[in-house]
Amino acid sequence: MSPRSRLALRLKTAIALLLCSAAAAAHNFHMGMADISYNPNTGGTEVVHTYTAHDVEALLGNLYQRQFDLSDADDQAVLKRYLEKRFYLTAEGRRLPLQLVGMQANADTLLIYQELPGTALPPDTALYNGMLTDFLPQQINTVNVGSGKQVRTLTFDAAHAEQRLR
Amino acid sequence: MPRFTILALAILALPARADDIQTVLIGGSRASQLGVADSANAGSVSQQQLDQRVNYRPGELLEAMPGLIVSQHSGEGKANQFYLRGFNLDHGTDLRTTVDDMPVNQRSHAHGQGWTDLNFLIPELAARLDYQKGPYSAANGDFASAGAASVVVANRLTRGVASAGVGQNGYRRALLADSPEVSTPWGDGSLLYALELMHNDGPFTRGDDYRKANGVLRYSQGYANNGFHITAMAYHATWNATDQIPLRAVQDGRLGRYDNIDPSDGGGARRYSLSGAWARTGADSYSRVSAYLIANQLDLYSNFTYYLDDPLHGDQFAQPDRRVTSGLNASHSWHQHLDGDRSSVTTAGLQLQNDNIHNGLYHTEARQVLEITRRDHIVESSAAAYLQNAIRWSDSLRTTAGVRADAYRFRVASDLAANSGNARDHLLSPSTSAVLGPWAATEVYLNAGTGFHSNDARGAVITVDPKTGAQAGRVTPLVRSRALELGVRSEWLPGLQSSLSLYRLDFDSELVYLGDAGATEAGRPSRRYGVEFSNYYKPARWLTLDLDLAYARARYRGPLPEGDPAGDHIPGAVQGTGQLAVTVDAGGPWSGALRLRYFGPRPLDEDNTVRSSASLTLNGRLAYKFGKSLTLELEAFNLANRRASAIDYYYTSRLKGESAAVDDIHFHPIESRSLRATVVKTF
Repeated sequence: MSPRSRLALRLKTAIALLLCSAAAAAHNFHMGMADISYNPNTGGTEVVHTYTAHDVEALLGNLYQRQFDLSDADDQAVLKRYLEKRFYLTAEGRRLPLQLVGMQANADTLLIYQELPGTALPPDTALYNGMLTDFLPQQINTVNVGSGKQVRTLTFDAAHAEQRLR
Repeated sequence: MPRFTILALAILALPARADDIQTVLIGGSRASQLGVADSANAGSVSQQQLDQRVNYRPGELLEAMPGLIVSQHSGEGKANQFYLRGFNLDHGTDLRTTVDDMPVNQRSHAHGQGWTDLNFLIPELAARLDYQKGPYSAANGDFASAGAASVVVANRLTRGVASAGVGQNGYRRALLADSPEVSTPWGDGSLLYALELMHNDGPFTRGDDYRKANGVLRYSQGYANNGFHITAMAYHATWNATDQIPLRAVQDGRLGRYDNIDPSDGGGARRYSLSGAWARTGADSYSRVSAYLIANQLDLYSNFTYYLDDPLHGDQFAQPDRRVTSGLNASHSWHQHLDGDRSSVTTAGLQLQNDNIHNGLYHTEARQVLEITRRDHIVESSAAAYLQNAIRWSDSLRTTAGVRADAYRFRVASDLAANSGNARDHLLSPSTSAVLGPWAATEVYLNAGTGFHSNDARGAVITVDPKTGAQAGRVTPLVRSRALELGVRSEWLPGLQSSLSLYRLDFDSELVYLGDAGATEAGRPSRRYGVEFSNYYKPARWLTLDLDLAYARARYRGPLPEGDPAGDHIPGAVQGTGQLAVTVDAGGPWSGALRLRYFGPRPLDEDNTVRSSASLTLNGRLAYKFGKSLTLELEAFNLANRRASAIDYYYTSRLKGESAAVDDIHFHPIESRSLRATVVKTF
């Protein structure tokens, strides 16, 4: 498939998903996203997560039975523990040292920035992604690996938590 | 960024619907109650807000509920005194307190109906406090007419904590708590453990020597809304008590303010519980089952009238109470989308509770039994079923309607055969609410509901007064309450949450505490009107202001008993209360809070001729953080060192050497200014 038609297909899928979510019961539609790409300027691999703030607050709220403020540093540290348990990269049987760079909470979304400093992804890298899938069984996490024209899209859910990236 | 990502972000930016059952369930933990609460007076206090409060004793945690005053009338180990909505709730009647679905109110208790002893609660483990006032929820039954306070104990702590504190008046406390992740053959979970040891003497001439040991162990798996926990709790305490003293003896110098009359007063308490809860959340439904087994033991020696009844041996009496309480709560909620924007949540529930009680009343001297006034074995069983439906008609109208059916059975085996017997009663309690708005961040609430409190089983089957031998009238087992309320909640100013409630609450029989007998008595019908104004203002990230004002007018209603010259004021019923708190936390090492509490005057007799005075106390807290995990906290109680009463009663007593009985105010002083320093390490 040519790059143009691949992009066109992705656009159509995205529009279909958008219409789906608007028409159907939106509250049953839980999505997360992670973009993994190599940054040639820093020489490291960056991961940018996007989740619905509402869902993350509900998850932490049901773990600790109190309200959380995702813009508060202490509360972010609690989410970091969950993140490190539910999202990690492995290569050659070892976990890659993914570091948390920061979090940014808006009214509706939560962005999480991670970095694998000084290295690109090894060829046999596998990703375990169970973000929110233990709390929301319908959660679907989309992962885009690569950038520009070399993007590979993977879908993770409760049943498919670990997949090879390449 | 690839276009796919942009579109995907657009999908995620769609606002999550407020009727999503996952988020509605923990909606109670959100600071804003707009769109969530069913009445203007309901709310939830988070762990962080609870931490910033200055608590002299664990029961005071409940003062986070606006309008509630918590006090103590003797010995620290006793259940606290509670005042709310114009009620002198004494030891907890008409305020339903639960800790994780376990009832804390003890019914048919030796010392007072609804005895609420929160000394087994470790404040650091409280994840939040949910409260509501008035009988407007079908899920709350016995003792919930003035309000309901629900303490949620955490399944997990975000960090482990070890603390050691010392203070004036013999205060010492040590705490260790953590919740490590554990792997078991049944899955991964969390094991929460906590151990607390405490000692306190108070300002009294004969120190309380209050010694407490508290332990909690909880294994939990999953989430609060989708998981389970099993918990074991153990509590043991002993104390001396300085009971209330007569004002006349303090005024003429016979007694110092912190003196006692009977140095052998005091007691001991134990509580052991095993409990568990399981919850499951589906796409459109939520189920919860919880069960508990609680063993409570109390030995209490009090002397309130000194040498009135027995000039030789004194009037000390013992009120032992040993019980095993077991129960089961189950509920199922299901959520439906109706056409358009409408949705409905229907909840059906079942609550079963059984109490197997051995209690009594003995006449004692220096804790040695002289004579048994009464001794009883009570089995009190109750079953309740409720159904509640909440409909969201549009973005500006929600209604709730519920009905609850309760059935009680009392079986009393008394040492006096004439006072043994069985009684049964049942009650149907409907309730309804309507919420209009929000418009301009303001909601209007209309609530109407019915509730009840049960009376002591012994009073429901009594025929002969065990002390005097005279004929004794029986009380109805279940007493109905009816309430109406109009409330407004607004967040019209950024950072300000205000609520105003106007209410009327009727009781078919008011439970009154008899200060001299140390017992509750089912009294006359009552009516109270009141207004509550609560404000929570956060004008900046570092500053929080709390202002709560409440005023209630409580009177007996209906015709007076024949020949009774008494008036219609309810003794001890609080009128005005107020709280002003300022909390400062700039995120840096320093943080602090100051809290001013106003406890208004109360009539002490039915004619309002004797009144207690008002009291104004100031408590403060200052904390300094050394790095991420070490904090030094300083707490000060009664900063202004005011000499006020924690409680006042008006009754007849006689001191040794007095030739005749005297009617007088008897009071228990609040603690003098005291400081405590605690070092807290989190790990």
